[in-house]
Amino acid sequence: MLCFLIALMVTNTASSQGFLKKLKDKVNKAVSKEVDKKAGIPPETGSGNSNSGSSGNPSNKGGGGLSNTAPPDVKAQMAEAETAHAAKNYSDVRYSLQQALMGVEIQLGRQILKSLPASVVALNVDTLQDIVMSTQWGWSNLNIHRVWKNNADKQLTITVGNAGIYAGLAALYFSNAGMIEANGAKQNFKQVRVKGNKAIIQYEDSKGYTLIVSIGQTSMIVWECINFANEQEVMTAANTFDIDGIKKMLGEQ
Amino acid sequence: MKAFITLIVVIAFISTGVAQDFTKAMATAKTAYGAGKLEQTHFALQQAMQEVDLIIGKEVLKLLPPKMDAMDIIAKEDNVASNIGYVGATIHRSYEKGGRKADISIISNSPLVAMTNTVLNTPLLGGMMNDGKTKTVKVQGYKARLEKQAGSTNDKNDYELQIPLGGALITFKVDDCTDTQILEFAETIPLQKIAKLIQ
Repeated sequence: MLCFLIALMVTNTASSQGFLKKLKDKVNKAVSKEVDKKAGIPPETGSGNSNSGSSGNPSNKGGGGLSNTAPPDVKAQMAEAETAHAAKNYSDVRYSLQQALMGVEIQLGRQILKSLPASVVALNVDTLQDIVMSTQWGWSNLNIHRVWKNNADKQLTITVGNAGIYAGLAALYFSNAGMIEANGAKQNFKQVRVKGNKAIIQYEDSKGYTLIVSIGQTSMIVWECINFANEQEVMTAANTFDIDGIKKMLGEQ
Repeated sequence: MKAFITLIVVIAFISTGVAQDFTKAMATAKTAYGAGKLEQTHFALQQAMQEVDLIIGKEVLKLLPPKMDAMDIIAKEDNVASNIGYVGATIHRSYEKGGRKADISIISNSPLVAMTNTVLNTPLLGGMMNDGKTKTVKVQGYKARLEKQAGSTNDKNDYELQIPLGGALITFKVDDCTDTQILEFAETIPLQKIAKLIQ
């Protein structure tokens, strides 16, 4: 209940910030229009490539981006945490521990990526889209992402992650069949099992199939299948993954 | 005074235990990492983090004033809890004298801070959410939100002060007082020192 309330508050904050941004954009647009009208500048038609935004700033056309830095050195961070602890500098101890945790999570994410199959239902892995993300919150935001695809717009995306905040809500779906069966006459959302693990599968015309398997206490695997022929093909794809291996690596029971 | 001395002794005793736990957790983390057991390393590091949060909480308790105006510490209500992975530590202290009570709660890495900061720094939003019972004030240079609440009787009011400090949120509540009084009491809380510890 507490988690839900806090999640709700965080969502509210995010949505209020989103609302304020929209409001600000609208006001900027309206003010620019009025200024242009007074200065006799004709309004933009909206088509064609404009080199500048409504505020007159040039648009960014590209850049080198940010280079990938190495994940934190776990051993060095642990040593720094101990040194800071001896010096009673607790704020620095916390920082070093967070860095060490992040380093461990990224290594673990890479291990899990390595264990995933190179090809799934004739789709090939696109390693350029591999993502391992850790957000210093200690496990709750570890996300591992991989994509397999072919040239015919068929794609499978897997996300392995830990959803500490949502785990309680997700557990409701996994344990309350009545709630799911009540979703209208056409069933596009149901419970299934993948290698003995409880799962839910969902279909939407705009998104394709989504299969979510709950592993252990708080971890989840999500498969997003675009342009798959049917439910059976999704299940075949999911069954090629070593779920128990992932579970073990994440330390889930 | 006796209660205060007991409190200091208890804190000192617990701090020693906590320091040992930290060392133990770090030793486990190093051994597990050396053996390539990443999940065990992760768990041990989390344990160490939890210990650090507890130490920080106890250090913050030491910084809080031994008296709040005429009110004395209620030693048994001193509390530090660590909530790893979500919010950091939750620190709590109460004061009481003659039926009047004051409470200080500090949540480090609080998700509520973003919300309070939005209200404090957005005059439009602050205005919309203002029901005549809240106002923005400054305590030792930090922006804060002061809220008037119903007191024990019709002619009395309680006040609550929320002070965001980086990622932490300090909530200070005093029963049956005036807005001037709560702001005077808040001046005795060493905010800058607390901020340095918990950030």
